[in-house]
Amino acid sequence: MIEIKNLAKTFAYDKKEAKARQKKVITDPREGEGVFHAVKDVSFNVEPGKVLGLLGPNGAGKTTTLRMLSTALQPTEGQILIDGKDVTKDPLYATKQIGFLSGKTGLYHRLTVQENVEYFGRMHGLAKNELDERLDKIFTLLDMHSFAGKRADDLSTGMSQRASIARAVIHNPRVLVFDEPTTGLDVISAKTVLDFIESYRGTDMSVIFSTHHLHEVEQLCDQVCLIDLGESKFFGTTEEFSAISDNGDLYSSFLKLVKVQKEVA
Amino acid sequence: MWLVYKKEMMELLRDKRTLILSILLPTVIFPIIFFFVGKFSGDRAQEARVQEIEIAFVNAEQMPGLRDLFTAEKNFKKVNIESNNYKELVLSKDVDFILEVPEGSLAPSNSRVQQTVNLHYKGASQLSNILSNRVNKIFESYNNVQRNKLGDAFNIPNASLKAFNKPLEVENKNYASKRERTGEIAGAMIAYILILLAIAGAMYPTLEVGVGEKERGTLETLLLTPMNKSRIVLAKFAVIFSASFSSVAFTLLSYLFWAYIFTNALNLDAIGFLANVSTLDILLIGVLLIPLTSIFASIMLSASIYAKNMKEAQAYMSPIMMLGFVPVLVAFVPGMELNWKTAMIPVTNVALAMKDLIKGTVDYSLIAVLLVSTALIAGALLFFVTQFFKKEKVLFRS
Repeated sequence: MIEIKNLAKTFAYDKKEAKARQKKVITDPREGEGVFHAVKDVSFNVEPGKVLGLLGPNGAGKTTTLRMLSTALQPTEGQILIDGKDVTKDPLYATKQIGFLSGKTGLYHRLTVQENVEYFGRMHGLAKNELDERLDKIFTLLDMHSFAGKRADDLSTGMSQRASIARAVIHNPRVLVFDEPTTGLDVISAKTVLDFIESYRGTDMSVIFSTHHLHEVEQLCDQVCLIDLGESKFFGTTEEFSAISDNGDLYSSFLKLVKVQKEVA
Repeated sequence: MWLVYKKEMMELLRDKRTLILSILLPTVIFPIIFFFVGKFSGDRAQEARVQEIEIAFVNAEQMPGLRDLFTAEKNFKKVNIESNNYKELVLSKDVDFILEVPEGSLAPSNSRVQQTVNLHYKGASQLSNILSNRVNKIFESYNNVQRNKLGDAFNIPNASLKAFNKPLEVENKNYASKRERTGEIAGAMIAYILILLAIAGAMYPTLEVGVGEKERGTLETLLLTPMNKSRIVLAKFAVIFSASFSSVAFTLLSYLFWAYIFTNALNLDAIGFLANVSTLDILLIGVLLIPLTSIFASIMLSASIYAKNMKEAQAYMSPIMMLGFVPVLVAFVPGMELNWKTAMIPVTNVALAMKDLIKGTVDYSLIAVLLVSTALIAGALLFFVTQFFKKEKVLFRS
């Protein structure tokens, strides 16, 4: 289980940026004196076998939150617990437990698919036997054996995305983080990703899935967390999220929560 | 077409980096560089023009007035010599010039035939040319005096006509070896090519392993592995270093091969000096390039990691290349030589040392000083880049 408690991340502007900002009319409540509170207070948790949809408009703080989860960024405040262990204090443990994939993540073009995935497996410290076993299992699961020897720059978008998924899960992580993984993908490639996420429902893995496509949330997610202006405005089941709006659909609920927030701002 | 041109120009002019490169560089930075290089060069030449020249005379009393012309000239100092091993005296710098009038020679106005004197010195650099020109000017004065005297005796035979035109012939005995004389220019050229190769060889892999990771979208996944960031950046540094150094190493190996072919098989006299450059000196040139390549690998890697995209990274590379070329060009300036002070100037010191190694005039103790100073700078820059790679603001700059 992964628990996020009162997570916050503040970025300090350098002198030049701070000076430039003083001259601008600032409407974003996250702007502070020479600092920007990208994430102010985000809390949610995901149990094993569940998929959580992380929603929010552009610039809400989703990617910053996910980068903190994956230890790429150090939180300013708050806790990230995986099975009760605070990974902000032990980033090495987190890297072993988390698999990360975004729509922007790529592959090394001059390496073959197998070499790409193997490289990350080795980086995660997998032994040769274990790595071979994992490769075979994942390549079978994602139907990748036919193009495992192809160079990454010769792959179709769909093949490329499958290779990226394989790379993200090669070390058998407990938590899978997907940051807008279907952005820019065609319908078939997007389906590959969504089917893969679906396959993890009911297993011992927790999945966090950030997206702008609410139909994907409806299809996949057990829970929803909506972030806006750096704060989690809603955390609950997908049904509870739908029920926020009068007509009971995710779009209306999303717009209602974000609109309320914009009006307050 | 005009619409497209206007839009492209507008975009280009709004790009600060393009403006800096295309306007600031030629209008401000280059003139400043040229001014300082020119001033330094001019100062050294001026120093050579007024530098005291120590000159010894052998049998000069046989040509009355010749010695007096030298001693009357400002900044010429007459020195006495004990030995008649003129070469050793010159090479050990006991004396700058030795003017030797052969036994039995008389002033041309007395002998009525052309006379030859020997001028012993060592001249390999452009500055020593200035010194020998000063000496030759005095010979010209002496010739004028002799010409006048010979003119008095107008009825001279045909054989003496030559003496009338040039009463005194000076035979230069330059003890600088061919390697030194050719190496002065060729050494600087080879240093320039090797350093250029080291920098250029680092550029492409730097872009690939730095900003290339950001562009491909592999940086984030790389950072999510348990591998320590310092180890990641050190591995990247090692890749750049290997690529850059191997291009230099191949050049040196090729140099060895072609030097052998040209001098032994093809007997090309003009580059015969290459055969005199020892294997140790070539190895030392390679060793000198290790810290130098490290310096540029670290600077370029920092810029590449910092850049948001490939275009920005490439814009950073041009000034970095300049940072490499300008100090190398300084090594071409007349009078610039490797000493305790210049051994501390990064890049310039390596270029000067390479030049001296090729000329065969290097002071090996200065090589040690240079290596220590350059290695310290390289180490500090490598430490900086490892720390730089840990900064969130750098890695996720937007």
